[in-house]
Amino acid sequence: MRRVAALFCALLCLASCSPAPKKHSSTLFAMDTVMELQVYGDESVLASSAELIKELESELSATDEHSAVYAFNHRSAGLSGPALDVLSRAMDISRLTGGALDVTVYPLVLAWGFTTGQYRVPDKTEIAGLLEKVGYEKLTGLTLPEGAMIDLGAVAKGYASDKVVELWREKGVTSGLMSLGGNVYALGVKPGGDKWTVGVRDPFSDGLLGSVEVENAAVVTSGGYERYFEENGVTYHHIIDPKTGYPANSGLASVTIVGPDGTLCDGLSTAFFVMGLDAAAETWKSYGPGFEAIFVTDDREIYITEGLESSFSVMGSYDKSDVRVIRRGQN
Amino acid sequence: MVKTKTWIIIISAIFLLSLVFSLLIFLRPRRAGTAEIYVDGELIRTVDLDNDETFTVDTGRGVNTVLVSAGRIRVIDADCPDRVCVKSGWLTGSAPIVCLPHRLVISFSSDTGGPDAVAG
Repeated sequence: MRRVAALFCALLCLASCSPAPKKHSSTLFAMDTVMELQVYGDESVLASSAELIKELESELSATDEHSAVYAFNHRSAGLSGPALDVLSRAMDISRLTGGALDVTVYPLVLAWGFTTGQYRVPDKTEIAGLLEKVGYEKLTGLTLPEGAMIDLGAVAKGYASDKVVELWREKGVTSGLMSLGGNVYALGVKPGGDKWTVGVRDPFSDGLLGSVEVENAAVVTSGGYERYFEENGVTYHHIIDPKTGYPANSGLASVTIVGPDGTLCDGLSTAFFVMGLDAAAETWKSYGPGFEAIFVTDDREIYITEGLESSFSVMGSYDKSDVRVIRRGQN
Repeated sequence: MVKTKTWIIIISAIFLLSLVFSLLIFLRPRRAGTAEIYVDGELIRTVDLDNDETFTVDTGRGVNTVLVSAGRIRVIDADCPDRVCVKSGWLTGSAPIVCLPHRLVISFSSDTGGPDAVAG
């Protein structure tokens, strides 16, 4: 009995004396958004992470005249380095989603004014003309078909989050969290051992619709609410369907993807938003493990894939009864 | 030879003491809260949300006018092109107020009991 008591005292002492690793955080502005990084332990890794993100931005930006992508779009160079790597990842996602993600949709995004903020509704002939230039199947990393242009923006932040996590792991960081303009990646668990809680934005309000508990996972949301404009009472959002040339109108208000591969999550959130619930659910079923999804329909219904059943919870104006679970064994 | 009973008393005492102290920590009166204003990642001002006031922040890239009222905070005017910061309204726990062109971020200090990060 005495030994047990002594052990108990020792444990009490341990629990209260072990120092918690110190939290370090930084904010930076890159890739047209605000980014928050936080790590526990090694502070120096923050500066090198920021450097890495800026380097990637200078390679991947479609608008920076010195970037690799800009040079490729303006026929002055083939793609190499990270830009080529990101392109090949994006092409994989294009094939997986039947072209719902397509990096060659860029001429249409430009025509709608979403890169500059000079919004306009292109007429039907203009859209039809530009659609002829769209098609990832025609791409190689070496040359672009006449009139075609690419934009890696739909996967760039996810790719950056993967690279930053890679760096953190190399430097021995075991616990950290980043939000690259709403592209979240959670490395490890919190210092206390709890999983990270990541909120999911409600597409219909400023609040949250729920949250998901994760470790070693990206959480990425795409939705029409992120960027849009109105003309003559009609709302046009920034996610252009590569098949129609118009903002995607698939019945979904937002799609959130959760999984260890940040690039995949980023690309799929856009692609699934374009595809709509049924086609996206089919793709998820046939993919096998690797990612999970949260769909919010225009009718404010929430669909989650079965892997999130225990880690997702609703909040705010939503109720548990609004949530349906998509399972692999079902139609 | 110390008896088992004595040990039980000692351990219970330690347990009770820690319970009292944790209650003291959890139940101490909380301040109405503060918000922090960052420009380009640097903390430039901590705002006490108890004091209603209006002030301007010169970010070097432009000026934002901030209103604090009844424990809340928002941007009411800005000379940035898109004015997203003004349109985002009062600061909520779900996402900070951001003025990208001016590299300005307004967020609540420390934890508000919300999630660790927000996707979207």
